[in-house]
Amino acid sequence: MSVTQIAKFEDLEIGDDLPEESPDVSMPKVMAFCQAAKHVFERFVDHEAARKEGFPAAIVPGIMSQGFLASMIHRWAPGCKILEIDTVFRGSLLVDSKITMTGAVTDTDEEALIVELDLAIIAEDGRTGVIGTARVQFER
Amino acid sequence: MTANRSLYRYFVSIDLNKMRLDLHTHSIKSDDGRAKVENYCKWIQKKQLALDGFVLTEHRQFDADSDYRHLEDEYGLVIMKASEVETDFGHVLVFGVNDDLLAAMDFTDIRLPIETVLDESRKAGAFAAPCHPGRKRVGLFAHYEDRGIVEGVDTVEVLNGGSIPGEDELSIEMAERLGYRGFGGSDSHVVSRIGFCATDFPNQQITDMGTLVDALYGGNFSAISMRPRSGD
Repeated sequence: MSVTQIAKFEDLEIGDDLPEESPDVSMPKVMAFCQAAKHVFERFVDHEAARKEGFPAAIVPGIMSQGFLASMIHRWAPGCKILEIDTVFRGSLLVDSKITMTGAVTDTDEEALIVELDLAIIAEDGRTGVIGTARVQFER
Repeated sequence: MTANRSLYRYFVSIDLNKMRLDLHTHSIKSDDGRAKVENYCKWIQKKQLALDGFVLTEHRQFDADSDYRHLEDEYGLVIMKASEVETDFGHVLVFGVNDDLLAAMDFTDIRLPIETVLDESRKAGAFAAPCHPGRKRVGLFAHYEDRGIVEGVDTVEVLNGGSIPGEDELSIEMAERLGYRGFGGSDSHVVSRIGFCATDFPNQQITDMGTLVDALYGGNFSAISMRPRSGD
């Protein structure tokens, strides 16, 4: 598979992969995010409290996952505009685990300079925690 | 256009001596699906996936309205429609959904008795088979230890593109032990995952749901994994 590091619209094709990334979801990072976003809940910042709620451990907030995906898109295509990002949370991503983000180009509109992307975040056990799509506008 | 499609299938059939179909996919018609059907077709074409077609198995419904024949013609693929229903023994794919079956059971019920799904499907001339049976909670075999074996199951999805390590291995082991036949499907909810797993039908021409149901009852098929290897 071809991997585009810094995407220009004219170089893109259906099937191109975005570079995989493994964002840091250690407890200090998640806690810092929750505090900055005023989104502090025990299930995100306390492993034991999360277990009492039925989770295997503290979980990464969904809005943080979506932020990671958006930042991956912008690193791949600096200057692009994300018109839409749509995520489906299918399973928990655990704090202090290794998660991997992937993306792929699934459609291109040459007149509008818009690409559609598949997005996913894979949990450490191989389960897909988040799937999604995005529509991204490139500059002329 | 139909002639082109037939020609394409003829060459596929001659070249590979089999039909290869992804029997488990979801489109935007499913609540958690994010794949447009045309984008599946573009992806298959661009990636040159060794697929002759796919089956849309939307969750808890049968999509009677959508017509994908223009995409079949344009891309030389067989596109069929089926359903994934939810039972007290996990999720089940139903191929060959018709009015009789739609009248016989409520597809939106998330606790359908599996015996009802199997019996009514058989009566209506459809074919029902549990999917991802090795998965916790929503897989058939997760329920066998506590509740016993379900009579009437003879085929299960042994390769599922959404499985984590260990799930398909359990599915294969249990299917072999119980004498079940196995098929494969990607369970794709986004475009880039179509074709991760599929089913080969040797020496058979499958052009519509009727011939697919016949082929599933016939039992001459096998599951295949086409997951991309790391570094590909």
